[in-house]
Amino acid sequence: MIRRFGLRTRLLVVFALVTALGATAAAWSSAGTASIALVDSTQRRLTETTVNQITAHTPELIYPPDQAALDRLRAAVGGDTAVVYKNLRSADGTDVGLITDALRDAVRARNRLVAQRITANDKPWLLTGTPIMITALDGARTPSGIEVYSVHDLSGVEQQISDLTRSAAVTSALALPLAAILALVAAGSVLRPVRKLRDTARRLAAGDLDARSQPQGADELAELTVTINEMAESVQTSMAAMQRMQADARRFAADVSHELRTPLSTLTAVMEVLEGAADRMDADAKESAQLAITETGRLVQLVEDLMEVSRFDAGTAHLRVEQVDVAGAVRDCLRARGWLDRVDLVAPDAITVPLDRRRLDVIVANLVGNALRHGRPPVRVRLSASAEQVRITVSDHGPGLPEHVLPHVFDRFYKADAARTRTPGSGLGLAIALENARLHGGDLMAGNVAGGARFVLLLPRDLEETS
Amino acid sequence: MNRIWLVLAAVLLVGCGVQPSGVTDGGEAPTGLAPGVTLYFVDADEQLTPEPRPSQRLGTIEDALSLLMSGTSNSPLHTEIRASSVPRVNVTRSPGLIQLDVPLSIYEVTPLGIDQIVCTALAVHVQSGGPRDTRVQVRFTLPTAESAKLRTCPLIKAS
Repeated sequence: MIRRFGLRTRLLVVFALVTALGATAAAWSSAGTASIALVDSTQRRLTETTVNQITAHTPELIYPPDQAALDRLRAAVGGDTAVVYKNLRSADGTDVGLITDALRDAVRARNRLVAQRITANDKPWLLTGTPIMITALDGARTPSGIEVYSVHDLSGVEQQISDLTRSAAVTSALALPLAAILALVAAGSVLRPVRKLRDTARRLAAGDLDARSQPQGADELAELTVTINEMAESVQTSMAAMQRMQADARRFAADVSHELRTPLSTLTAVMEVLEGAADRMDADAKESAQLAITETGRLVQLVEDLMEVSRFDAGTAHLRVEQVDVAGAVRDCLRARGWLDRVDLVAPDAITVPLDRRRLDVIVANLVGNALRHGRPPVRVRLSASAEQVRITVSDHGPGLPEHVLPHVFDRFYKADAARTRTPGSGLGLAIALENARLHGGDLMAGNVAGGARFVLLLPRDLEETS
Repeated sequence: MNRIWLVLAAVLLVGCGVQPSGVTDGGEAPTGLAPGVTLYFVDADEQLTPEPRPSQRLGTIEDALSLLMSGTSNSPLHTEIRASSVPRVNVTRSPGLIQLDVPLSIYEVTPLGIDQIVCTALAVHVQSGGPRDTRVQVRFTLPTAESAKLRTCPLIKAS
């Protein structure tokens, strides 16, 4: 239950509890010992006084005694005293009625002086009772039949004891604030490095890998600090290595595609010549030439896509934002590829949004191309707009995307069907489309609806112009 | 946990006030009562003999010795202490020793007479609660080696 509170509170509470407990136990035990000693010594003093007073008087006491002798003895003992001999009784004071039967029985049974503490009328009392013995010349002692009972008020002793108890309580109370101060100091010394460590860990978590704490002293917290510093160091080192390797890989891809461009443009020129001469070839040569031309075209597309991806990775891809009529742009895109008659376009007029027209064209062309290639007609492109964003949905009526493919459709070079490696396209189209959508601050999502695959492109309407 | 609090509460309560108790032993009961005092005389066979005097009280050593020195009334017994005109004895008590300053010289008392004095004094001492191995020193008026002796009563043996 104490875990609900902070370390400081817990330390404070535990410190205070321990101190209070210790101080209370010490004070109380000493007060208890002192009060027991006080009661004992008082009791001994009272009984000794009684014995001495009786002993001083007995040689003069007539035996067997008469009433006058008993009265004299009682007077000699003094206080609240009763002297009894057979049927004779001499008593003084109202409190002698407190004498208990247990005490009387003990006097007669033990033939020794006995004492008993009782509480009566809300006051503590000491009762003493003793027989007076007759000692024979051979040392044998026999009870004379005279018994002396005394009642002593112990209120004074109780007062002293309550004084002791009060001073013990005061001592315990004085120890508490001292304990609280000590607990605060101790909590501070423990919690300061803990707080520093927490701040460092937060900075690390936020990505500031240079964050470190200065270890102080040589305790466990200092060890923890050193360990956390080492951890941050090693994380930083591996992060740096990883980033370097990633940058190297990207640069390599960019370099490769760039280096491929020059020979490819030569190759493209050659292919155009070859295409022109294809009509004059025989059938076999013509087929080979056609294949070479197609594959060269794919190679050019692949290199273009690779360079585009490299630009995204390098962060050098920039938007050329202008006010674009989205419906018109999509229609232009379809018209340019000759798809207008194969695609069902549902678009309200006059949705004008700031965006990069070329990149929108790339995305739509890729999505519609995929739908035409992999799905079945009718392929439908639907445009809608809300206050915040424009939504372009491309759906077909094909078999849809297999469940295991869905998480990977935007991966680079991911092929849904391992056997179908010879499909046209670079394998980068959807990855580039997604990057383009994100560059706009939008998103691209893939999913299935009843009877086909569906891709949804979301573009924000409040994109800043000229970025 | 509850048990700890209970113990704690019990400890705290014990520290408060005078607690009632059962009947406890407070030591030896007082003594010193006697129906009379015992004096020692000598019989016809020269034997020390106790003679109880029913005085209804034990009295002090001084009283007993005064009675002793005033002689016996009992015909078969006699005393071997010469009658003194001043039958007054000074008694000095100290732990284990009773010193008697008797108004007699060593010539006024026989060895049996000294025993009479010693036994009478010791009898009172024992009956008033004193230990039986207490020694008695009888100091005479004239300087004598007998005054230095620490004596016991042949009839009252230290148990």
